[in-house]
Amino acid sequence: MSQATLPLLVEIGCEEIPARFLRDAERQFGERLLGALRDSRLLPDLGSSEQRNGDSPAPELRSPKPAATTYSTPRRLVVHIVSVLPRQSDLEEQVMGPAAKIAFDASGKPTRAAENFAAKNGVAVEELLQVETAKGLYMAARKATSGRPAAEVLSDVLPRVIKSVAFPKSMVWETTGVRFVRPLRWILALLGEGDRARSIHFDLAGVRSGKHTRGHRGSGAGRLDVVGFADYAQKLRQHFVEFDPESRRQSVRSEANVVLEAWQEAVADPELEEWVVNSTEWVAGLRGSFDPRFLKLPREILVTVMRDHQKYFAVEDRESKLQPNFVAMLNRDRDATGAIRAGHERVLTARFNDAEFFWNADQKVPLAQRFADGWLERVTYQAKLGDQGSYAAKIFRMKALAEQVCAGLEGQGRLAASQRAHVLHALELCKCDLTTQMVQEFTELQGVVGGLYARAQGEPPEVAEAIYDHYKPVHIEGDCPRSVVGAVVSLADKLDAVIAGFAAGLEPTGSSDPFALRRAGNGIVKLAVESLHGLDLTILVNQTLRSHATVLGAQAGLDSGELAQRVDVFLREERMEFYFREVGALRYDTVRAIVKRTKILQDLVPSAALARGRALERVRDTDDFLALAAAAKRTRNIRKSANILDISGGRPDPGLFSEDAERELYAAYEGLSREIQKLSDRGEFEEAFRATATIRPHVDRFFDKVLVMSEDPSVRRNRLMLLLRLNEEVFTSLADLSEIEPIGAEGGKARNG
Amino acid sequence: MSSLNFQDMLAALSRFWADQGCVVALPYDLEVGAGTMCPETFLRVLGPRPWKVAYVQPSRRPADGRYGENPNRLLKHTQMQVILKPPPPDIQDVYLASLEALGIRLADHDIRFEEDNWEAPTLGAWGIGWQVMLDGLEITQFTYFQQCGGLDLDPISAEITYGLERIAAFLQNVPSVYDVRWSNDHSYGEIRLEEELELSIYDFEAASPEACRTLLDTYEAEALRLLGSYSKAKDPKDAEVRRRFPLRKVYELCLKCSHLFNILDARGVISVTERVALIGRIRKMATQVARIYVGRLQPALAEIAAEAQPA
Repeated sequence: MSQATLPLLVEIGCEEIPARFLRDAERQFGERLLGALRDSRLLPDLGSSEQRNGDSPAPELRSPKPAATTYSTPRRLVVHIVSVLPRQSDLEEQVMGPAAKIAFDASGKPTRAAENFAAKNGVAVEELLQVETAKGLYMAARKATSGRPAAEVLSDVLPRVIKSVAFPKSMVWETTGVRFVRPLRWILALLGEGDRARSIHFDLAGVRSGKHTRGHRGSGAGRLDVVGFADYAQKLRQHFVEFDPESRRQSVRSEANVVLEAWQEAVADPELEEWVVNSTEWVAGLRGSFDPRFLKLPREILVTVMRDHQKYFAVEDRESKLQPNFVAMLNRDRDATGAIRAGHERVLTARFNDAEFFWNADQKVPLAQRFADGWLERVTYQAKLGDQGSYAAKIFRMKALAEQVCAGLEGQGRLAASQRAHVLHALELCKCDLTTQMVQEFTELQGVVGGLYARAQGEPPEVAEAIYDHYKPVHIEGDCPRSVVGAVVSLADKLDAVIAGFAAGLEPTGSSDPFALRRAGNGIVKLAVESLHGLDLTILVNQTLRSHATVLGAQAGLDSGELAQRVDVFLREERMEFYFREVGALRYDTVRAIVKRTKILQDLVPSAALARGRALERVRDTDDFLALAAAAKRTRNIRKSANILDISGGRPDPGLFSEDAERELYAAYEGLSREIQKLSDRGEFEEAFRATATIRPHVDRFFDKVLVMSEDPSVRRNRLMLLLRLNEEVFTSLADLSEIEPIGAEGGKARNG
Repeated sequence: MSSLNFQDMLAALSRFWADQGCVVALPYDLEVGAGTMCPETFLRVLGPRPWKVAYVQPSRRPADGRYGENPNRLLKHTQMQVILKPPPPDIQDVYLASLEALGIRLADHDIRFEEDNWEAPTLGAWGIGWQVMLDGLEITQFTYFQQCGGLDLDPISAEITYGLERIAAFLQNVPSVYDVRWSNDHSYGEIRLEEELELSIYDFEAASPEACRTLLDTYEAEALRLLGSYSKAKDPKDAEVRRRFPLRKVYELCLKCSHLFNILDARGVISVTERVALIGRIRKMATQVARIYVGRLQPALAEIAAEAQPA
């Protein structure tokens, strides 16, 4: 049955919302409004009644498919829903109450529980129903609620929806104490279109909703009354508000081309583009220039100043050579008098002057001298670490860490003695740029500035490069440092960050990770796989903690063993798992099989674990392998139920075998165990997995013919011992095979980052 | 029309905000890092009483000193500080009108409010707001205070802080703040350059760390002695002692400590642990002052409530 519906347009007018919050707020507003309309039975595609238990949570929200379109500018969040019912559908629901045995006493009289339940639902006790459930007989009430007009419902619903939009940082500004990202200044809430359009009335944070919006600040327009979405769109565009962020994005792209010469191009910068889109209501481009003498400064510095500090796009020619130009995106229509361009050029010149001044001033004391003179002792790394909280202390710890890594690499012949010297020297200098005026002004250039300065001050190129690179990888798909020297410096930095962070009680929880320890952890795993193959993180973490146990462990009020345990779990079960899924593209259960295996055997060599995972992916979908996985699950369950203390470490006695099937399995296990060991020592994991699969017929026969839980305790014990050996040396030696699921079965498992 | 000189700017802004009902207060006669630290802001944003004030405040940030060599950066700069408690709903428009009063034709420029939240750990104060950008130049910090002296604020105050030298250099279109015309006859440099050089030399080189530490300890001890006498006066019969407590003097001592801390910091002699400890010490004094101030408002609050009762 088709129903007559009405369009709904809601706009929250606000003082400038931070660009970084805008799109998420827009999305939330749309989703919450749709969800609330659905819950209020105002969306046309819902049935006229639904059954719902009084105690159970609301039915799961359907995906917000119905036609809701959202828009945003820094001063507005907008939702337009094409079809809303003019009146709620009527509701008849069955509300579940107390158990029947509680509702009536021994004599069959209704108890207080029954009376209260009936009263709460507006029915007489005699009208209560009895309903048979899985938990027994329960009381229920049939409750009918007739629908109210949409306008009436919406004036309750809309303020709640608006208040439910959550921001990472919010504020209060007026007496009702409503929290929002910035002060609300107007609310447009319009139901229907044209002559029949009417506003939904409510008050929120001192603002009365109405039929009006406002134009761009610079348009001079006050309130603009609107009668529907088309009217709204037309009036806003007339008053220099492009409320559709995607249209603004198109403008950003086309405007850069309009203002530049044919042979020039704006340096592509998706983050800057996003920022511009989310901080403008109207977009116009402007090309400015600066004195070409500044092109003597490093490109990194020039681009950072333009992008991060002034929000300008840098400009280059076809050969990617930086030009003495920039593109600024205005939050208005044009620069009629040229005053805006002059202003931007003036500011940029001042900024470049500063950068030039900092560069020259900073060279007066080279990085090496800053280190020698103890400048880092006065720079705080983490105040919660007390005496260990300075960068000088951090460098000391990082050097001890790097010594360990270097020793390992030298042992494998992968690092020359001269490179070890470069690592240690780079470590001493890598944080010294924090004391420079350049980095104090342009903090995002830390590392880069250190590398540039080291080069200018005649440090060896390997050292300068390692310093330049030592914050890499910045994210999970970013580049690693270019050299092994840089990789060791980066690893030492990140591992210290994680260990010191945990020691200071800053481990990440839920969505909170203020010191970006997860990112550091991802970097550690990535370096261990991609740059420092074969690195064993367990040894490294334990040794570091042993050498710094007194300072770091004591800081946390933990012994170093406990701290090591937490760091280990974090790296192994969170970060390694994350990396294997996201970068290794391994299937969920493969990752679990590999990570669980490393837990059993305690090693934490991410590169080897990933190689095992890749090998497992190639063989895991064969019938033999899947059958083996099922057997491994069975073994694991038997193992769980058996008294392990009694049998662990023991080996089965072939003299106690009575069935052929167990003798055969034992023989096959002995040969296979040696084979797996041999192949995995050579790193031939795929062959090792293929070899593992060959034991399947013996396992099948064993479970078919042999009763493990024999009446005879010594026989039972012997069989359990055989299974335990099999479990340890075959089913979990390379991966925990009991984790592997047939394709399709894994789909239901949750993924999380 | 030629652009305003520096002193005319101060006068124009003072006139503008006086017309908005602000008290035009005098600059505070102590070293402060920002207009926020003056009692006209720090104390009066506390408690329920409405308040509107505007004042010019020379503000010192030793670490920003550049010996007068940098064209855009000053150790001592001039702020125009405005507090509106509570802020009117059209506060942004009123602020924009104040720019017109300075001779900035908004129709010719691009104005943005870009997210920039503000925090002063030594004062236990923070707020939410923006930096206001005029054609890419930051000209104002605009903040809705949320906490001050570690206390939640109700009502909220809006703080508008103009950086006057920058605006002047922009309006007069000169490359350096020292070229700004202070009056029609004198430049900013003539009046202030020597002072910038001398203050930079002292704060970066000549200050005796020992003397600064001793002074800091002495001011703090005096403040703590007074605070101690207040907290001892708990008995109802001590009400007079509490009423006559020299609270603003304690706050002055706290500000002295804050400035000495900034000098020691610029001098580069504060270690990591000392830094945290010093901030904690100053914050403690500031939050105690705030609590006492609010506590002393209580009888006054009762009065306000009584007045509001229908006869």
